[in-house]
Amino acid sequence: MDIVDKIIENINYLGAIALFVIGLRIVVLHSNLIKRIMGLNIMGTGVFLFFVSIGNVTGGVPPIIYPDSSGAVYINPIPSVLILTGIVVVVSITVYSLSLVIRIYENYETIDQKELSRLISEEANDH
Amino acid sequence: MIIEQLPIINLLLFLLMALFIPLLKRKPFKITLILGFVVLGLVFISSVYLLWYVNNVGIIIYTFGGFEARFGIEFVVDPFSALFTTIIAILAAIIYIYSSGDATDGIEKTEYGRYYILLFLLLMSMFGILYTNDIFNTYVFIEILSITTCAIISIKKKKDTYTSAFRYLMMNELGSLSYLIGVALIYMATGYTNITLIGESMSNAFQAYQLNIVIALGFMIIGLGIKAAVFPFHIWLPDAHSSAPSTSSAILSAIVIKVYILVFVKVLFRVFNLEILNEMSISTILLILAGVGMIMGSVFAIAQKDVKRMLGYSSVAQMGYILLGIGLLSFEGLRAAFFHILSHGLMKTALFLSVGEIIFYKKTRKVNDFDGLGFIMPVAMGVFSIAALGMIGLPLTSGFISKLNLGMAVLDKNQTIFLVILIISSLLNVIYYLPIIISAFLKNEKYHYRLESIEKTPRTMIAPLILLGLLIIVVGIFPNQIMVFIESAVRSVMP
Repeated sequence: MDIVDKIIENINYLGAIALFVIGLRIVVLHSNLIKRIMGLNIMGTGVFLFFVSIGNVTGGVPPIIYPDSSGAVYINPIPSVLILTGIVVVVSITVYSLSLVIRIYENYETIDQKELSRLISEEANDH
Repeated sequence: MIIEQLPIINLLLFLLMALFIPLLKRKPFKITLILGFVVLGLVFISSVYLLWYVNNVGIIIYTFGGFEARFGIEFVVDPFSALFTTIIAILAAIIYIYSSGDATDGIEKTEYGRYYILLFLLLMSMFGILYTNDIFNTYVFIEILSITTCAIISIKKKKDTYTSAFRYLMMNELGSLSYLIGVALIYMATGYTNITLIGESMSNAFQAYQLNIVIALGFMIIGLGIKAAVFPFHIWLPDAHSSAPSTSSAILSAIVIKVYILVFVKVLFRVFNLEILNEMSISTILLILAGVGMIMGSVFAIAQKDVKRMLGYSSVAQMGYILLGIGLLSFEGLRAAFFHILSHGLMKTALFLSVGEIIFYKKTRKVNDFDGLGFIMPVAMGVFSIAALGMIGLPLTSGFISKLNLGMAVLDKNQTIFLVILIISSLLNVIYYLPIIISAFLKNEKYHYRLESIEKTPRTMIAPLILLGLLIIVVGIFPNQIMVFIESAVRSVMP
């Protein structure tokens, strides 16, 4: 039962790693460009979950000071604050890459990576 | 004004300039160009002053909002960051003058303003990366840098730029997220994001949480390796750098990938320390990556028919040289690497700008079409030849000095095999640079009918090229004056 306890204790870290690996697999191997962007988001979520888990303290309360809350254990707010910046960054990357996908679709009329590579190599041979 | 605020003012000048450009939309474009030049000039002067100040008086530390370093963000100007911001300011000013001479090929007139907005944001983020002393803040600046670089690549309204920008974005984002997970693991082990504080507590953390530190180092090396186009992660570079406008290819190849390698240096030597690196024999891994990159980058470059792709692959090989210097983990190695960052910056800028001028007038990017160009465009081809000879490593150029230093550093560490690789890589450089020079100066021009269509080159395009050619030779003849600054930069990185 020792190993089960360990897994339950570290479930958020394991989840973070799982999300990271799932996202990585989609980004690298999927041929649909929009799904690759989704994979990027999943990967990012994994990193964010990891970051937020660091700040967690078992039995901790949110770091807001009330008059009667002396001696309480607070969770660490800094990782959450850092991750707010990270979320903004990933959102902007997503927006930018989606706009690129729109342009690619307008020019090639496909968003499939394999199809795109075929079209590009055909064009290169024409020249 | 207090001297501590000078680095912030540098960043603010760039940011304000980027904000001002859209407001000047209805005015003639010349006003924007002149204003931008004034901004670059001011930043250049303040960078030089900071360089003098940190080398003679002492390092500058600025904490934002008065929060102490462990909570807030800290900017540190030391010989390392001051030296490289100065180099970036010089190169950026040269490229800027060139780009104002109507040479931003492929960009529509209405897009010019946007191009310069992106350029100034790019410069701001690079200065930020070098000044900041906080690994999370570095991540934020890195992301600004990657978005603006992608936007600059895709600014041309051409089909292939979109796909190469997309690939660049995907690869870069993998790199950023790997770096971020490295930051998370380090924060987990030490509880800080400030580089100085992490450096102090790193030895204890390595005893207590060895696994964390090892995984963090792995993630950070891979993440920054992807961004710096270290050999096995370089696949995005040739496409991205060849499809961008020539001036931005120069910026991307000469400055942007160097900034990532400088973050790499910061992470290796300041966040982690030499003991940890030696214990995990990081040196061997880096040296193998560098050696393979030096050979393979040159081999790929030989096979290219498009001159800009060839230069892109050549950058991959040159990153191998820089990584070789860093991977030796010695004072001499780091000195050679820093010097090569400067000399490769100068040479790659010269190569891309002269090729840019040729593409602008001849509308050709094929290596085979360079026959007889030396008679039609003597300045462009002359500077191209100087820079190409520098790449090969001929004496009197800055490339020779960096290869000499690199060779001495390699011998100092008894890694003779890498001296052999260095020489083979130089010979491979000869194979792909020399035929271009020979065909440009010794063969007749293929297309005589194009002779009439050659316009007179604007002076704003010729002057930066001549300046670059001169700088390559001057740095090659008098390296000692610059070496003083480089050595103090190395000393500040490597205690």
